[in-house]
Amino acid sequence: MTAEAIRSGTARALRVVREVVGAPDYQRYLEHHARCHPGAAPLDPRAFYAEFVTRRFGPGPTRCC
Amino acid sequence: MRRLLSGLVWLAVGALGATGFALLALHRGEPVSAAWILIAGVASYVIAYRFYSRFIALKVFGLDARRATPAERLGNGRDFVPTHKWVLFGHHFAAIAGAGPLIGPMLAAQFGYLPGTLWLIAGVVVGGAVQDFTILFASLRRDGKSLGQMAKEEVNPVAGMAAMLAILAIMIILLAVLALVVVNALKASPWGLFTIACTIPIALLMGWWMRALRPGRVLEASAIGVTLLLVALVAGRWVSQDPTWAHWFTWPGPRLAWAIIAYGFAASVLPVWLLLSPRDYLSTFLKVGTVLFLAVAILILLPPLRLPALTRFTDGTGPVFAGKVFPFAFITIACGAISGFHALVASGTTPKMLTRESDARLIGYGGMLMESFVGLMAMIAAATLDPGVYFAMNVPAATLGPTAATAATKIAEWGFTLQPGTMEALARQMGEATLFSRTGGAPSLAVGMAAILGGVVSGPGLALWYHFAIMFEALFILTTVDAGTRVGRFMLQEIAGHVWEPLGRTSWYPSIFLTSAAVVLAWGHFLYQGVLDPLGGINSLWPLFGIANQLLAAVALCVGTTIIVKMGKARYAWVTLAPLAWLASATLTAGWQKVFAADPRLGFLAHARTLAGSGNPDAARMIFNDRLDAALALLFMAVVMVVIAASAREWWLVLAGRKAPVVHEAPFVETAYAVGD
Repeated sequence: MTAEAIRSGTARALRVVREVVGAPDYQRYLEHHARCHPGAAPLDPRAFYAEFVTRRFGPGPTRCC
Repeated sequence: MRRLLSGLVWLAVGALGATGFALLALHRGEPVSAAWILIAGVASYVIAYRFYSRFIALKVFGLDARRATPAERLGNGRDFVPTHKWVLFGHHFAAIAGAGPLIGPMLAAQFGYLPGTLWLIAGVVVGGAVQDFTILFASLRRDGKSLGQMAKEEVNPVAGMAAMLAILAIMIILLAVLALVVVNALKASPWGLFTIACTIPIALLMGWWMRALRPGRVLEASAIGVTLLLVALVAGRWVSQDPTWAHWFTWPGPRLAWAIIAYGFAASVLPVWLLLSPRDYLSTFLKVGTVLFLAVAILILLPPLRLPALTRFTDGTGPVFAGKVFPFAFITIACGAISGFHALVASGTTPKMLTRESDARLIGYGGMLMESFVGLMAMIAAATLDPGVYFAMNVPAATLGPTAATAATKIAEWGFTLQPGTMEALARQMGEATLFSRTGGAPSLAVGMAAILGGVVSGPGLALWYHFAIMFEALFILTTVDAGTRVGRFMLQEIAGHVWEPLGRTSWYPSIFLTSAAVVLAWGHFLYQGVLDPLGGINSLWPLFGIANQLLAAVALCVGTTIIVKMGKARYAWVTLAPLAWLASATLTAGWQKVFAADPRLGFLAHARTLAGSGNPDAARMIFNDRLDAALALLFMAVVMVVIAASAREWWLVLAGRKAPVVHEAPFVETAYAVGD
């Protein structure tokens, strides 16, 4: 197994963990941004996180009893 | 040939499940292995998923993999994100599973393991999983709209208002009862309190890390948080053994109640990144990790069930809570069989994340089967306890009497034995001062979990496992308390905004403070009265919570039935109507009995009447609370009957041809993804 394979495997595993716990994924946001809004400047990590957290823990319930 | 083979395999699964049920139901005398609960459960889940959920997906909903989902159409890289179905399955499960499926079965075990086990399995297959799947599907077709919005648009505005009111009222009672479980678990337990107190500075550190130091690095911060949490857990033992420190962390119930009220208020007014979101990540990691570990440990040990299948308390004389097995087993176990609260998540974050419409079957129906499995694990943990210990821990001190000897006599009267010294030895093993009358379910669950986890990994010792289990429960209950208070605040702001516009501004501080205070004082009142209650509070609040949660499920099923009827699928409306009928009859019966039963142990009003002439110095306060509980139960029942009536009217109008069967779905857009799997 090459170092490259290990690195990409780890990155994939971390992405899955992030998605399961509902953590923000800045890399994916950048991909989305480049695809859908080419030319516009994306948010920096700090602004993206601030916005993500406000949305995720917004008005609706995210957790059950 | 393949068809024949597949038919034989499914027949074998069915036969195995039936054997499991038969053994559980008919076996008497020697202990049955927990394996039979798992076999009966898993065989039923697999069959229900393969056949029933497929029928619902294809025939009733007509799930269409070619139809683009909101995540695809509205994708924004933030909340609308197409997610792999197994990843989303984990995400959805982490969102719906909480303390409910753990505590409910523990309390319902007073009837024996059989009623709860049967309800967990049958309830989920025809009720809970159907509800979650239906609401997820409905929201998915409506750009992720909430249950309240769907009630308003698909039924009518009155039903919408009733649903909103129901959700707010349920939130209040839910937060009160969950906070009470935590108070009872941490009361006079310096080890437990120290560990949980440490989660606050740990969360603040994580919040600062993720916001300022390393923006968005949730996994990094969580790894640090979990490590610090385990350090706090180990340090807790030292705190409990040092006289000065132990004294500082030994708190009575009322003081703990005030602390949780203050915490709920702080979490509601502080920015989410500081306290709420780091705690959410911390508790999610701990929750998912522990549930998986518990499942593996149970599979390895397959412990014997020491509780009988049925106890004499099915007749309604139970000391943990009053009421007969019907209807009370069905409201005590809400989450795990069917939980109305899930309708809020299934119409919240999850529908915005599905890649394909057809994934809704796995996530909605399958996700709820997993939660039922968690309920079965809690039932197993309860049933592996020595019955004498189970009742000594879960029955209030007012019933057991002041000493170990009076408790043993009482338990012997019920036909169980508690050997002298058992409870003292157990408390020493678990690192607690006493385990008598630790009501609320969390401590007895922790004893059961400690035995199971410690049976597989014995190194840390039972005391550490016990406090690990307490930390696990308290952490995610408090996460529900803080998130719930905040959600309650938003809902109150929305309602108050209709009265005076500035109150509706969600980032205007005077309104934030005012509405947050109103929400915490509302649930704080029930919590505080529960703490003062000589019978422990759980026996009046838990049924109220169960009634509320099941009635919310009835609201969700009404909305679901209306949508099915309006889709022109009225011939399949029994899919949601059958669980609705069962739920409405069980829950309205329970509500009626809680209010009007002549037995003062059961009926709120009868209890108030016995206090009236008693000369008890607290009588006036307790009478007020009995009447308040009665009023709340009546309110829940009235709201649900309004929703049922409003929905039935819509069904009739559509079926009689007086109203066109029109649903408010988002228009069809073909998916850009390859359709295949």
